[in-house]
Formats: sequence, structure tokens, C-alpha cells
Amino acid sequence: MIWAGFGFMTLIAVLFAAWPLLAKGKGVVATEDGTSAVLVDQLDEVQRDHERGVISEGEADAARMEIKRRILALSRKTSDAGPQSAGDGNAAMYLAALFVPILAIGYYSINGTPVSSSRALEALQAEREEEQKIADLAQKLFERLTSEPNGGQSDGWMLLGQTYMRMGKHSDAVQAFDVITRREGATSETWSRLAEALVMAEAGIVTPRAQSAIDQAFRLDPANPAAAFYMAVSLEQAGKTKDAHDLLISRLNEAEGFAPWMETFVAKANRIGSEIGRAPVNLASFAPMVAGPGPSADDVAAAGDMTEEDRSAFIRSMVERLASRLEDEPDDLEGWMRLANAYTVLGERDNAVSAYEKASALLQNAPETDPRRQRIERALSELKG
Amino acid sequence: MTPEFGHFALALALALALVQSVLPILGAARGNLMWMRSARALSVAQLLFVGLAFAALMRAFTVSDFTVLNVAENSHSLKPMLYKVAATWGSHEGSLLLWVLILTAFGAAVSFFGSNIPEPLKARTLSVQAWISVGFLSFMLLTSNPFERLFPPPIDGNDLNPLLQDVGLAMHPPLLYLGYVGFSIVFSFAVAALLEGRIDTAWARWVRPWTLAAWMSLTAGIALGSWWAYYELGWGGWWFWDPVENVSFMPWLLGTALLHSAIVTEKRDAFKSWTILLAILTFSLSLLGTFVVRSGLLTSVHAFAVDPERGLYILMLLALSIGGSLALFAWRAPMMEAGGLFKPVSREAGLLVNNLILAAATGTVLFGTLYPLFLEAVTGDKISVGPPFFNASFIPMMLPLVFVMGLGPYLSWKRADLAGVFQRLRFVAILSVLGVLAIWYMTMGGPVLAYLSILLAIWLFLATLREWALRIRLFDVSFKEALRRARNLPRATHGMTMAHAGLAVAIFGFVGSSAWKSEQVVFVGPGSNIFIAGFDVTFEGVQRLSGPNYFADRGTLVVRRDGEIVTMLYPERRTFPVAQSSTTESAIRSTLAGDLYASIAAPASEDAEESGAWTLRILYEPLVNFIWIGSFMLVLGGGLSLSDRRLRVGAPRRRTIDATTSVPAE
Repeated sequence: MIWAGFGFMTLIAVLFAAWPLLAKGKGVVATEDGTSAVLVDQLDEVQRDHERGVISEGEADAARMEIKRRILALSRKTSDAGPQSAGDGNAAMYLAALFVPILAIGYYSINGTPVSSSRALEALQAEREEEQKIADLAQKLFERLTSEPNGGQSDGWMLLGQTYMRMGKHSDAVQAFDVITRREGATSETWSRLAEALVMAEAGIVTPRAQSAIDQAFRLDPANPAAAFYMAVSLEQAGKTKDAHDLLISRLNEAEGFAPWMETFVAKANRIGSEIGRAPVNLASFAPMVAGPGPSADDVAAAGDMTEEDRSAFIRSMVERLASRLEDEPDDLEGWMRLANAYTVLGERDNAVSAYEKASALLQNAPETDPRRQRIERALSELKG
Repeated sequence: MTPEFGHFALALALALALVQSVLPILGAARGNLMWMRSARALSVAQLLFVGLAFAALMRAFTVSDFTVLNVAENSHSLKPMLYKVAATWGSHEGSLLLWVLILTAFGAAVSFFGSNIPEPLKARTLSVQAWISVGFLSFMLLTSNPFERLFPPPIDGNDLNPLLQDVGLAMHPPLLYLGYVGFSIVFSFAVAALLEGRIDTAWARWVRPWTLAAWMSLTAGIALGSWWAYYELGWGGWWFWDPVENVSFMPWLLGTALLHSAIVTEKRDAFKSWTILLAILTFSLSLLGTFVVRSGLLTSVHAFAVDPERGLYILMLLALSIGGSLALFAWRAPMMEAGGLFKPVSREAGLLVNNLILAAATGTVLFGTLYPLFLEAVTGDKISVGPPFFNASFIPMMLPLVFVMGLGPYLSWKRADLAGVFQRLRFVAILSVLGVLAIWYMTMGGPVLAYLSILLAIWLFLATLREWALRIRLFDVSFKEALRRARNLPRATHGMTMAHAGLAVAIFGFVGSSAWKSEQVVFVGPGSNIFIAGFDVTFEGVQRLSGPNYFADRGTLVVRRDGEIVTMLYPERRTFPVAQSSTTESAIRSTLAGDLYASIAAPASEDAEESGAWTLRILYEPLVNFIWIGSFMLVLGGGLSLSDRRLRVGAPRRRTIDATTSVPAE
């Protein structure tokens, strides 16, 4: 389709380039010089000007004399110029008509982006429509909540606020969360969500209003990680960087096992820690089950310099090393998980399944909420299904 | 898919331009009619394909196709439709495409309307036009492709600079470019004439309409640009001697000289070297303007493009076209025959003074614009050459020009009688002096230069009107007869009267609004009172409103004079959240006598919302509207002259004719 369009355009361009060839013989041959015609017209003009009284008799005469002199000089010059030979010149025309498509197509085949494209726009439009749909739903929800006599259910406002946050409408989210925090029994989570919306709405700045929301959240439940996090943000902005760091680290120390918020805390602690010269911390030191000896930095650097075959051989040797180590230490849960993952990447399905099953057996004693249970289940169902 | 058609169309246009840059000119040299004729179809095809590309880009903007990098960077799906369309030429790439579109439009226009132009001259002209085309098309395709794609596309675009979201500005670049690029065809005619070795009356006749059309567009473009700055920037000024303004003003100055020089060539077969040189230099300055703005050499509100590679490419183009054409001029100009002779006092001499002053003024502006750039390049020092330099150098230079302008139309061709002319202008001179005395009495104070300028403006205005009255013998014959004579006058004559009077009117505006301007910048809260130029202005407070893609803080001002409410003013400060910037919408009470101009700049303090305190800038600019009225008259004068399809003859004056009875020649 697109190439048909290009072909059509090229055809038009070639037709234009070859036009004189096609129109040959039809046009009037008018090589005569237009100059003397202009001068003759000027003579008429002088006459008209004179008749209308724009110039006087004397001026008209003088003007006529001058123009006649010019005509004379011109005719003398053109007769010197000799006749010009008009060759055929068809070859050059054909060449030109050929040159146009060659250059255009040549250029385009190097620099153009013919494949593609309209589909990306459609996808974009679909995505935009999706966003619009969410926005419409949010609007409907908002209208329903505000029209209800009791001011709408708290759950509804919560959902609306979270939707606004996802849409990036932070100020609207503030208003939604604000409704719930004004009610009896507002939880620490509600307050911390309000605090988050307030901070986001002000591009990361903790305003006095945000500060009071943070304080409320913290007071209601000091264990709420979001409250602690924004408390650290506010401490940092108040210039109490050390306190902020301490708060983050102490919360990490209190944590039992792994939770997703810990990664954010570690990243934040390391960012502000580097400003006050504190050593970076590692997620592994707070959630021990995540840790495990992996390839050393030297191993990785070495892998970078290798050819493709060398690298896959190297990876295979690493995997074998890990597998043999695990035979000696069969209780290393994280080790089995990494091994299973490596086999999955290498495409060795059976080995991967058996490694995951080993890991799964080790997880029997872990709490129900351990996120690794889910990971293993998902991996196994993918490998088997 | 359409962006790809646009891209391919540009490639085809480049190929066609390459053919057009070689074949017709070879045909002219060899006397091959078919080759010469090929220029016609080629130039039309070029316009077709560049137009197609432009349409494809505009479509990409209107449907918000963010797979096109240019659209993603310069538009936003929430932007009002008018500004989506205007965004097509808002960016570097888009404005270049517009540039080339106008370039090819002029080429096609010559092949369409130029049936009276001899084939060899037309073929050469169109080939030269195609050289420029090749330069800019290749520049676009190699360094600034407007159809660069972006995968995966972003969900939404980056908006256009909200400062540029304004109707005046949406129209400004097209008009300015029409002028800038319009001079390209005059340049091509000049280079073709040099190649052909023949410049004469007929040549000047063929070039006239193109020069006029380009000059008119440039005049309108500059006026519109300054109008935009006045309304949008919120500083109350209409001209800042900003480099971006200067680079559009220089081609205008030289173009004006060219316009007058070409008259002498057309009517008297003289000033040939002047006309050719001015044609070359005018377009060179247009190119320089494009280079200065597009290379990102400057950093001002207008300069969006920053890319050294592009700058280097344009610099090369510039060196090639200006250097090449000037070298050609140096080589061929001495071979041109001298034309009609004239005495030191004559219409020709008057126009020579015009050429000299305008060229010198252009040189001054050029120096003031480029010197800081050179200095920065060589020593690294950053200095700015601003209004003080230009006011002290440019304005005194223009004053003699205004004086001669009043005089010029009274002079006859070839030789004139100065004493007779002065005799006829006696009353005009006396009236001008009386007029300026009256103004001095009314204003009681102001710079001497202002009074001098006003004196000359009155002189020019009255002298121009008197000359027109003399032509139709307004007070000598019956009114009916005078009307008949006015109808009989060539439209070009009316055009000249209109344009010269227009300049006088504009000078009133220039001087009035700068010399007698009152300005106050104050912190205000609800209920604050400001007294300015006889007005009593009360600030009522600020309201928050929302627009399609912005929200606005609108101030309310009540303007009273002698206790009576005159008007209400609502200046706004608009904030564009997506682009994260804000603009000022000034509120203006406009009358012929002057503008009362108010803008709220920013909250006076951070907690302005509570206290309601704002920074208010309020100005009174007397006569400022005369600038736009005068500019409009200039454009109208050009239009009248353009509509005059007659040939023009400059009837020389004979020695024996009585000076007091004859009417000056057209």
C-alpha cells in the first residue's frame, strides 16, 4: 500500500520532469526577445500619459527620444549576437526523468521508515482512549459519591483517590482523600495516602498541610511504612538529614522478613546517606533470605570481554559450579531459586522444574506471606503449562 | 503512513530541484528551448511536492500523530486546534519547511505569471531559484528532517511554547517568511541578469511586482511581529532592537532601497549596479537572518534551535550563496552599460541619497547586531548592544532621509530646480514649525530628538499631501475636475503618496509612544489606587479562572477619569501546567490618542493568594496606534503600486521648460 503510494508519486514526478518531451511540438515557439516589446509599450504609455495631462508636451517628446534611442541600441546589439543553434537534447531530458526516481528512492531507502508506523499511532490512540475511559469512570464515580446523601462511602472515595493518583491528578486525589480523613475513624493509611497526594501535588515539597497529615498517620500507626517514609522525606527537607536516615534504617531493622516497601527504603536511605557520608546499606542485610553468594565482580567483568560462544560456555560453567555447591549445601533456598532461574534462561526445563521443587520443599517452614511462594508457584505453572 | 509520504515527497522535490538547477540554465546557454521550458513544469512539480510534505506535516499535527518526533516535541493533544495548525511552522524543522514552501511557491509563480518574461531570462532565474531550493531541501533532509519518526510514541506531546500560543504569532512567521523568501526571486532575477550580462528597463519592469510583493509581506510581517511583542510580552514595548527583530528589519531597509532603485532602472535605465547589488544584498540579509535565528546563535524568546551541526551547514550555504553572487557581481557588473545621465539635483539624485542612507543605516544595524556575536566568539566577552546604541546612531541617520522623502517627489527626472521646489514647499515648512511648536506647548518637555523627529514627520506628511494635491490641482480647478484628475493618476502614484504618508504617521507613533510614555510598576492589593497620565486606576483584586489548557489569574482594574468610570481592564497571567510555564495577557484600553496598558506580572509575594498582593505594570503610551495605522498604510501603498500593471516611464525634463508652471513628472 505505502509503496503503491510512493510509486504513484514517483510517476507524477517523472511525468513533470519529462513534460517538455510530451508537450513537444504543441507549444508555440516564442524565442523572440521581449525587451523591445516593453520599450514599444513604453512609447504608448508616454502617449497616454501625455493625453491625460500627466506630463507636458515637452516632457513627452524628450521621453520618446530617449526610448527610441534605447530601442536602436538594443537592435544593434541583438543583431551582433548571431543565431543560436538549438540541438535535439532529448537524451538529457530522458536522463533527467530517470534521475528523479533514482535519487528519491535511493535517498528514501536509506533514510526512510516505510514499515510500521500507522499501527503505532493506532496503539497510541487506543491507549489514549483507555485513559479517557478511566477518566470518564472516575468522573462518574465522583458524581455518584457527591450525589449520595451520606456523602458517599469511604471505600468509594478511597478508590477514586487512588485512581486520580494513577492518572497523575494529584490535586484531585488530595480532595478525594481529604473527604475520608475528615470522617470518624480515619485510619493511618488514609492519612498517609493524603500525605502522599499532597506531596506529589506540590512536586515533592512537604507543605505544612502535608506535614500535619504525615504526623496524623504516624500517630495513628507508627508501623505504617508510608507514614515513616514521608516522615523521613519531611525530616530531610527540614535539613535533619541524619534523623531521616536513622528513621529509615531503624524501620528496616525492625522489619521481619521481606516486604516490597523495603527496596524503596533502602534506595532512599542510600541516596540521603551518600550526602552525609554514611556507608551504603544492602537490602540483603535486612532481609537475609534474599542474600546469597553470586558471581564475583571479576567474573562479571570477564564475561563482558568474551565472544558469544565463550560467554555461554562461561555461564554454563557458572551454573554447574552453583549446582555442585548446592549438592553440598542443599538447604540454600535462594541458591536453588537462582539455579532454577538460570536453567529457565538456558532453556533446560526439566532441570529448572526440579530446582524449583527443591526450593519449594525448603519453603515449607516459611510463613504463608513469603513472596517467594508465589514466585515459585508462578514459575512452576509456566514451566509445566 | 502520511508522514512517510511527506518524507518521500521532500526527497522527490530535492531530485526535481537538482534537475531544475542544471537543465534550464544549460538550455539558456546552449539555446535549447526544450531544456529552458523544462523549468516551468519542474518548478510547479517542486511546489506540488513540497506542498504535499507541508500538508502531511500539518495533518500529523492536527491528528496529534506523536510517532513524528517533531509533533511529539512541539504539540499536545489538548492544545486548541488553531495552535495545532500553527505549530506546524512553530518548530525549527517546520519553519524550514514553510521557508522552502514559500521559496518554491515564488518559483512556481514566476513560471505561471511570467509569460511576458523572455524564455532565457526565465530559465536562468528559475535555475538560480532551484539552487537555493537544493541548498535548503538538502539542509532539511540531512540535518533537520521534519518527518523523523519516534517509536514507541509518547502518550502525549511536549506542548508548544505557550508564549507562542497567540493568533498574532501564529500568523507572524508566514508573513515574515513571505517577505524574507520573496526577495529570493528578486535575487534569482539579479543573478540571472548578471549571467546573461544584460540589465535594462525591461528587466526592471519584470522584477517590479516581485519586489513589491516581497516588500509588502515583509512590512506586514514586521509590523505584526512588533504588534505581537506589544500585546503578548507584557512589557509595553513594540520594538526592542533584539537581534531577531534586527535581522528582519535589515532586509526591509535594503528592500526599501531596492524598491526605489529599481524605479530608476525601470524609468531611466540608470542605477543598474545599485539595483543588482541591492537585490543580492537584500536576499543575503534574509539568509543571514535565517542563519542567525536558526543556528541558535542567539538566545532570546525567538531562538528555539540549538544545534551546531545545523549552524555549520547554514553557514556554508550562506558563504556559498552570498560569496558566489558577490563574486559574480564583481566580475560582471563593470560590463554593464551606464544608463541615463542626471544632474546632482534631480529625482535620480534624490533616490541616490535614499539608497545611500538606507544602505548606511542597514550597515549600522548590521554592526550593532553582529558585533556582540563576533566579540563573544573572539574574546569570550558577552556584551549587549541595545536601544541606546541604535537610538544614538540609527535615528539621527534616518532624519535626513525623512527630510529628503518630503522633497523627492517634487524633483523632476534628470534635472530639477531646487529653488522652485522650495518655493512650493514654503507653506509646508512654516506649518511644520508651527505644528511642532504647538506640540511643544502641549507636552512641555521631552528630548530634542523627539521634537526634531516630530517636525520632520509633520513635514513629510504635509509635503506628501501637498504634492498629491498639486498633481490633481486640488485648489486650482473645480473639485469635480480635481477628482477626475485623481482618477486619471496612475495607481502607483497614489501608492507612493499613501506609503510616504504612512511612514509619517508611523513616525508620530514611534516618537509619541517612546518620548512621552508614562510607566509605573507597583505592588498592589485590593483597593490600591494608581494615578497615571490623568487616569485614576483602582485595583480590585485577582480571580482564578480556567482555560482549555491553562488556568489564569485575572486582575480587575477600574479606570476612572475625573471621577467617571472610563473602562474596566482585565490583565491576566496564564499558567500552562503541561509546559510548566506562564504568559502575560495584557489588558489595553486603546484609543487613537494613546493606549492605557496594564499587565500583572507576578504575585508580589509567595502567599499572594491570601494577601491578594500583585506586581502591576501600568503604562500610558501616547499615539502608539499610529504605528500600526502607518504600517498598514505602507502595505496598502505597496498594494496600490502592485495593482498598477502599467509600464512606467520617467519623462526627463528639458532645459528650457519653465520651472514654476510644470507639474513634476510621474
